[in-house]
Amino acid sequence: MTPTYPKFSESFMSGISVTTLNIFNKRKDVSYYEIGVFTKEWKPVAFVSQYKVIPMKYLDTLSFDLYVNNSSLHTVVYICSISKLGAGSTVASKICSRVK
Amino acid sequence: MKKVLVASVLLASSVSVIAGDVPISGSVQTRCLITTDTNGVFGNPLPSKLSTASADGGVVPVVRYDVTLADAYIAKVTTPTAFSASPSLSDSVTWTGTTAVSKTSDAAMSGYEAAKVTYGSTTQFDLTKAGSTWFSSTATAVYGVNKSFPGGNYTAIVLAECIAK
Repeated sequence: MTPTYPKFSESFMSGISVTTLNIFNKRKDVSYYEIGVFTKEWKPVAFVSQYKVIPMKYLDTLSFDLYVNNSSLHTVVYICSISKLGAGSTVASKICSRVK
Repeated sequence: MKKVLVASVLLASSVSVIAGDVPISGSVQTRCLITTDTNGVFGNPLPSKLSTASADGGVVPVVRYDVTLADAYIAKVTTPTAFSASPSLSDSVTWTGTTAVSKTSDAAMSGYEAAKVTYGSTTQFDLTKAGSTWFSSTATAVYGVNKSFPGGNYTAIVLAECIAK
């Protein structure tokens, strides 16, 4: 998932910030990725995005916007893509960008 | 004068056509990729033991990390502490696991293994160089006290994480 260090900016809605992320599926054995937003202590943060679970074919790329309320923006540290495993997969992957 | 003017117009229009056709392209390079190099398989050397170690007849799962941004990510590999699928079990399962660097794309990564930090079932590596690193994890499950695992299929999951620093 890119960028490694995403930056939020004001969205078209007042009180809501947005960042754009890109995800790439390099795993043949994974067809879905879940998006999660977390604090420094790995507590989940509420967010809105076109996708919470993204269907992705092998080698597909996707760009999407992720919106967070300004009141909780200061708590956001990690934005992660987490693989959803099908039968036969024995390795789960989680890749996290960091908001600095 | 007329010829010069026509030539100037033609020259200007050809320049603008060329400028209009110049493509600008770019791509976003993914900074950390995780791929499954080898799926693990449990061997069953004893009725009470399942193990991915090759000495126990298993296959060690191998995960590859490709990092294109040096010193920006931490790799965390967590060996299983439970089955994700198994027959019904009536006794406790004791898990042990280890993770090690099995291969690197750059000799400068040779220090990863010595610098790793292990806590619980998780092993953490600081990916200070750009390139590929292969991590292999051995997982062993022992059922009860010398109790036989019931027949059936057993699956456990290794968690591979790449966290931006």
